[in-house]
Amino acid sequence: MTPSAQLRLLLFRSLREGGRNPVLAYALPIIIPLAVLVLVAKTLYRVTDLPGFPTSNYAEWMTPAIIMLTAMTGVGYAATSLVVDIQSGFLDRLRLLDVRPVALLMSRVLFDVVRVVPAGAVLLVVGLLLGTNLEEGVLGVVLLFALLVLWAAAYGGLYFVVALTTGNAQAPLALAPLFLPLQFISTQFVPHSLLPGWVQAVSAWNPFTYMVDAARAMTTGPMTLAPVAKAVAVAVAMLVVTQTASLRAYKRATGGL
Amino acid sequence: MNARFAIEVDELTKQFAGGVRALDGVSFTVDEGEVFGYLGRNGAGKSTTVRILTTLLRPTSGTARVLGHDVISDAGAVRKVFGAALQEAALDELMTGREHLEMAARLAGLDKARSRERAAELLESFGLRAAADRIAAGYSGGMRRRLDVAMAMVRRPEVLFLDEPTTGLDPQGRRAVWDLVRDLRDSGSTVFLTTQYLAEADDLSGRVAVVHDGRVAAIGTSQELKDQLGTTTVRVRVSPADEHRIREAVAPNVVAPVAGGWLEITIEGGEAAVPAVVGHLTGAEVHVDRLSVHPPSLEDVFVRLTGTQIETSAGGADVGKITAVRRGLGVPTGPGR
Repeated sequence: MTPSAQLRLLLFRSLREGGRNPVLAYALPIIIPLAVLVLVAKTLYRVTDLPGFPTSNYAEWMTPAIIMLTAMTGVGYAATSLVVDIQSGFLDRLRLLDVRPVALLMSRVLFDVVRVVPAGAVLLVVGLLLGTNLEEGVLGVVLLFALLVLWAAAYGGLYFVVALTTGNAQAPLALAPLFLPLQFISTQFVPHSLLPGWVQAVSAWNPFTYMVDAARAMTTGPMTLAPVAKAVAVAVAMLVVTQTASLRAYKRATGGL
Repeated sequence: MNARFAIEVDELTKQFAGGVRALDGVSFTVDEGEVFGYLGRNGAGKSTTVRILTTLLRPTSGTARVLGHDVISDAGAVRKVFGAALQEAALDELMTGREHLEMAARLAGLDKARSRERAAELLESFGLRAAADRIAAGYSGGMRRRLDVAMAMVRRPEVLFLDEPTTGLDPQGRRAVWDLVRDLRDSGSTVFLTTQYLAEADDLSGRVAVVHDGRVAAIGTSQELKDQLGTTTVRVRVSPADEHRIREAVAPNVVAPVAGGWLEITIEGGEAAVPAVVGHLTGAEVHVDRLSVHPPSLEDVFVRLTGTQIETSAGGADVGKITAVRRGLGVPTGPGR
């Protein structure tokens, strides 16, 4: 069986498993971003009165960022499942059947990616109901979801590195709160110009900042090349680094066999 | 390399991080079509050997080949010719029995229709048809084990590794595994069977390797091992006054009193020497109330080689399970797998 056929088969296995566990697999990624969006839009809306705030509808300001946030609250399930496979011996069974490491890891990464799409869609609809305007139309939305899945794969890579390095199913869970500080040291809540100086400096090193900026460009506009290209470059670099590291950790754990 | 060996192991060692030496220079060969028993107690190195032979674990040194393919440099080719059921039944709790088998068949290279057929066949022959569409989380220990062995069979392996396949099974499940091994033997497959049950090794295997402390302590057919290493005893019940005359009559064979007024005579020269000893008893003109002959058992051999006492489990005399009762020799506490 070719590695790509293995990948399809394993992805199908994950999706079927997710279907048996729909709350954990598909509903959970929605809850936190939805709560943040609705609460923030309904409690902190006067923030837009600050001089220099680019919009008068805070929900509109928040929606693109919150859609990107679903990637960070949604991933992790797949990495934990991978460790469960290691502990149960099921991974050994797959290795005996000559499943290639790349097919194994990619099937899990893609599962995380798929799980984020319904979450992103729900948040987009809620954002529209709260008055968000999609200035960049359908093309912008398509690009937004493309960036969302890329970001989910890149950010989810952190979980795989931790999962495979520690071999502990609980360890990836420790990464879950990471999205909290990353939100605050980005442009999610307020524009760059309103961030304190030191946060401005730190936010330039926060990959999430680039996702938020690009997501805004793709939805509320204006869509220019620079933020989109930067976001794609950052996410691709993060994906390559994390997946290379998790493949190495996998090979170390299996003795390269 | 010699193609007529199904398995060829040369000076295999495995030192785990942390210093546990699980294998300490293991060498043996298994012929094609042979059922080879690998007998040892927990921690002896059985599972480590299996994991190396099935390409899951890299040895520290030494070589191993399965049907001529090196398990390290040619792992991909090795994986195509064997099936294996490892010590722990390796299941996905959220997948049904049928889904396990269909997925394994697809990964083994069967097309969709053929995979469905093969899964149905295996579910039937492993007695899992009724549970086929339930998820594995609800399976009993015996059902899990049967499903695991069935997964090892999806592509009709040329060499089958079974790592303690009957541990934890009820008598019916055990019998089903034994029948499978006999069927495979009859159809010419090679089976590498690790076990801690002596009767299993005795009944099913052509040759047996007794592994202890990461080394092969002895190897041969069960009969050869018994002949070389076992002891034949004759027990007689006589009146206590005659004990001395018995000792003189059968010397230099050693006589020791055992429970119930019996004397146990350890026969030098094995079963062949029994008639002569009985002749001496007759010549000594003592009244022998009762007499019984005890041929050597694999259990004797095992005790002799490993210094480990064997306890017959509550399951009956046919399952002499080795327990970790130490006798003199230091028994390592290595990793279980």
